[in-house]
Amino acid sequence: MLEKKITIQNETGIHARPASLIVKEAQKYQSGISIVKAGKEYNCKSIMSVMSMGAKKNDEILLKVDGDDEENAFAALINILENNLDT
Amino acid sequence: MLGLFKKDKNNLLILKTPIKGKVIDIEDVPDAVFSQKMVGDGIAIEPIEGKVVSPVDGEILHIMDTKHAIGLKSINGVEILIHIGVDTVEMNGEGFEIHVSEGDKVKAGQLLIAFDLEKVNKKAKSSITPIVITNTDEIKSIEKSNGQDEEWIMKITV
Repeated sequence: MLEKKITIQNETGIHARPASLIVKEAQKYQSGISIVKAGKEYNCKSIMSVMSMGAKKNDEILLKVDGDDEENAFAALINILENNLDT
Repeated sequence: MLGLFKKDKNNLLILKTPIKGKVIDIEDVPDAVFSQKMVGDGIAIEPIEGKVVSPVDGEILHIMDTKHAIGLKSINGVEILIHIGVDTVEMNGEGFEIHVSEGDKVKAGQLLIAFDLEKVNKKAKSSITPIVITNTDEIKSIEKSNGQDEEWIMKITV
């Protein structure tokens, strides 16, 4: 299990477009991938779940990855969450 | 033999038209997130009225803080996202009025969101509103309306 705290940086938070980027990437991996925000856990392979997190700029979230391909999945998701939510 | 062609009522979900307007192919929405079906498969409507009603009997899963999108779950488990307009996130809630809360049980036809269509047309990239099924991996098929019948927009087999 790998975990990392991340602060959301993009101006508009995690709405439809960023959420779809997260889910598209997460679905490439076997590992269980989730985000914890304010004590609630959200499944990164479900767009409705990621959107319902309602993460805004400066919110702190915890990325959790657990499974056989967790290292690759962890690096890929960190890259998206930290750098590429607006693309 | 006739039974073979009869659809089980519990497996068929008819999405009633949530917004009055013209039905548009999802592929023609001017936003790649929707036209490439990254969020899910469905249709879009170009609204003629600023009123969104529930397409199904179900539950409110999620309302965006910026009030321009709402997620629902039908009683047989189909997840539906209604996203008013394109790039409406940048309007920051202005011109949108929410009439339900997360967790509410709703009936088909119940008012969910009222919005200022003129303002959306002026400030956002487009008022075209995608209505998509987000858990398409959990359903069997989608029949999409061609706009002929104004009562429904999609028939989902689960």
